[in-house]
Amino acid sequence: MTSQPFLRIFVAPGALAALALLAALATVLQYSLRLYVPGSLEAGGFTLANFTALLKPLYARVFLETVWISFLTAALTLLVAYPVAYALVHTQSRLTKAAILITAITPLFLGEVVRTYSWMAVLGNNGFVNSLLLALGLIDRPLQIMFTRAAVVTALVHVTLPVMVIMLAAALSHIDPNYAKAAQSLGAGPIRTFFTVTLPLSMPGVVAGVTTAFAWTFSAFATPQLIGGGRVNMIANLVYQLGLASFNFPFAASLSVAGLALTLATLGLVRLATRPLDKLGPP
Amino acid sequence: MSSLAAERQPRLASQVAADTTGGDVAVELRDVTKTFGQVHALKEATLCVRRGELMTLLGPSGCGKSTLLNLIAGFLAPDRGELEIDGHRVNDTPPYKREIGMVFQNYALFPHMSAADNVGYGLRMRRLAKQEVGRRVADALALVRLSGIEERRPHQLSGGQQQRVALARALVISPKVLLLDEPLSALDRSLRASMQVEIKEIQRQLGVTTLFVTHDQGEALSLSDRIAVMFDGQIHQIGSPAEIYRRPKDRLVASFVGDVNVLRARLGSIDRTTATISLGGQSIPVASEPLAGCKPGDRADLFVRPEQLHLSETGELVAAQGTVTTHIYQGGHVDLYLLSPVAAGGRLLVRSSEPDAITRWPVGAAVGVTVSGADALAFPPQDDKP
Repeated sequence: MTSQPFLRIFVAPGALAALALLAALATVLQYSLRLYVPGSLEAGGFTLANFTALLKPLYARVFLETVWISFLTAALTLLVAYPVAYALVHTQSRLTKAAILITAITPLFLGEVVRTYSWMAVLGNNGFVNSLLLALGLIDRPLQIMFTRAAVVTALVHVTLPVMVIMLAAALSHIDPNYAKAAQSLGAGPIRTFFTVTLPLSMPGVVAGVTTAFAWTFSAFATPQLIGGGRVNMIANLVYQLGLASFNFPFAASLSVAGLALTLATLGLVRLATRPLDKLGPP
Repeated sequence: MSSLAAERQPRLASQVAADTTGGDVAVELRDVTKTFGQVHALKEATLCVRRGELMTLLGPSGCGKSTLLNLIAGFLAPDRGELEIDGHRVNDTPPYKREIGMVFQNYALFPHMSAADNVGYGLRMRRLAKQEVGRRVADALALVRLSGIEERRPHQLSGGQQQRVALARALVISPKVLLLDEPLSALDRSLRASMQVEIKEIQRQLGVTTLFVTHDQGEALSLSDRIAVMFDGQIHQIGSPAEIYRRPKDRLVASFVGDVNVLRARLGSIDRTTATISLGGQSIPVASEPLAGCKPGDRADLFVRPEQLHLSETGELVAAQGTVTTHIYQGGHVDLYLLSPVAAGGRLLVRSSEPDAITRWPVGAAVGVTVSGADALAFPPQDDKP
C-alpha cells in the first residue's frame, strides 16, 4: 500500500461500483428464490419452485435452442471473419485495408436494432433475397426465411462479425511474418504454410474470438426477438415475455440466473477444452 | 577439430555432396535490379557464387544485402535481371520450390513445435517416411551438437541452442544454397566467436554453398571464402578477405573493412603501374590505378592500416608528426591514438605490437610516424568525405 499511494484513492469508487453491480445481481438472485403471486407485482416467500419449473421440456428446449444458436453463430462467424481478418492483416494496399475495415467494423456503430431491421428488409417475403430469386425465376412463391433459425443465425453472425474480425486481426498481426517465410523456404506451399504455421499460431485468437462470440450471442435479445418473431426463442426472449408480459418476475429472474450459470459453465468447458492450445501462439 | 568432425555423422555430408556434381556456379545474378517505390534497393547487381563456397554479403544497414538474400530465397521478385540457381533460371520459381535453406536473424523457429519437429518440418513437407524423418533429424541435431533437446520448445532453449536448431532445420533438407541473414547478431560476443568457427566447420564439412549476410566486417573477414562488399544498392567489390583488406577498390571499401587512417598528401610521380605519394619526408609507393587522371603535385589521400604505421622520434625523415593522446591496451597489441594535422579526421590510429609501447610513447609525447609495407593505397581526395 505504501508503495502505491494512489491505490487508496481508487478503492472507494471501485468498491462502490462493485457494490452496485453486486446489489443488482443479488436482487435478481433473491427474486429467483421467491414465490410468484399471480396478479401482484410483489413476490411471496422463499421457494425453489422457480428452478424446478425450469426443468419442464418447454423451457429446457429454449435453453438447448440458445446453446445451439450460440454455437452455430460463433462457428459461422469464425468461418466468415477469419478470411476477412487475414486479408486485413496481410494486404499491402492501404485502400483495401481501409475498405475491409469500413465494411467489417462499421456495423459495430449501427447498433443491434438497426442492423436487425436491415436484415428484415433483406430476408422478408418482399425482401431482397426473395425478390431476386423470384426475378431469376428460381422460385414461384416467396420462401419463408423470416422467423426461422437460419435467419436468426444469419443476422447474429452479422452482429458478432466486427468483434471477431478485430480479435482475429489482433492475433494474426502478432505472428512474426518470418514464420511463414521459414515454412516456405522449407518447402511448404501457401496452403500448407497456412495450416501448419499460421492457423496453429492464431489459435489463441480463435479461442478468444469464439468464446466472446458465444457468450455475446447467448444473451442476444433484439435479433431473435425481431427476426425470430416469437417462433425462434432464446433465453433473453423468454425472460422478456415472463417478466414484462406476464409480470412473473420470480420466474424471469430464475431463468436469468440459470442462463448466467449456463454461460459460465459453457465458457469453463471451452476453457478446459482449449487449454492444450495455450502452448500455441507467438511467445 | 578432427575429433568434432569424427563425432558428427557423415550421412548429411554425403547427401549434400551428391548434389554438388555439375557446374561450379551455384547462384548467379545478372544485372538484378529491385526498387521499392522510389528507393533503389539493388542496382544491376551481378554476382556469381561458386559451388561449395562461403560468400559473405557485407555492408552497412540499408545497403541492399538483405534484399539480395530475399531475392535469392524468392521472397522478393526482381524488377529486372536474371537469377539462376544451379544453372536454372528461377526468377518465377516460388520460394517453396527453390530448395533453399534459410536461417533468419531472429531464427524464426516455430514456437508451437518442439526442436525435433522444427528440424523435421522441411522433411515432412517433402513427405518423407516418418522413420526417415526421425533418422535425419537425429543426424542433423548431432551435426550441430544438440542431441538430447529434441522435445524442448524453442522458448526453452538458449539463444545459442536456438541458433543451432535453426541451422539444423535449414541444413536437413540438403539445400542447394544456405542463406544466413545476420544469424549471429543476437548472440553475445564470445558465443558469436564460437558459432563463427562452428558454422565455418559445418559448412566445410558439408560443402554446402553458403551466402552469409552481415554488417560486421570482422565476421566477414574471418568466415568467408569471398566477400561481396555492398553500399547503397551496389556491389562495390568481390574478393577474398585478403584482397578486400589489402587491395580495396575504392575509398568506401577501404574505410568499411578494417580500421584505416586517411592522410592528406600529394602525388609525387605517376606512371602506368605505380605512383608515389610524398608525405612529409617519406615517399610511399602505391598502385597507380585508383589515381588515374591525376597529375604529379595533385592532392591525394593516403589510406594506411594502423599496423602499417610506426612510431619513431620526430625528425626530417618521418611521414607525419603527432602527439599521443590515448592508449588502448588490447592484450596482444596496443592501439595508440595521435593528434596529427595531416590526418583527415585529425586523429591517427597506430597499432603497435611492441610490449613497451605504452611506456615508450607516453600520453603527451610528440612522435614521428612512418609508413611501411607495400599495402598503402591512395585515392583522389573527396572533399565531402572526412
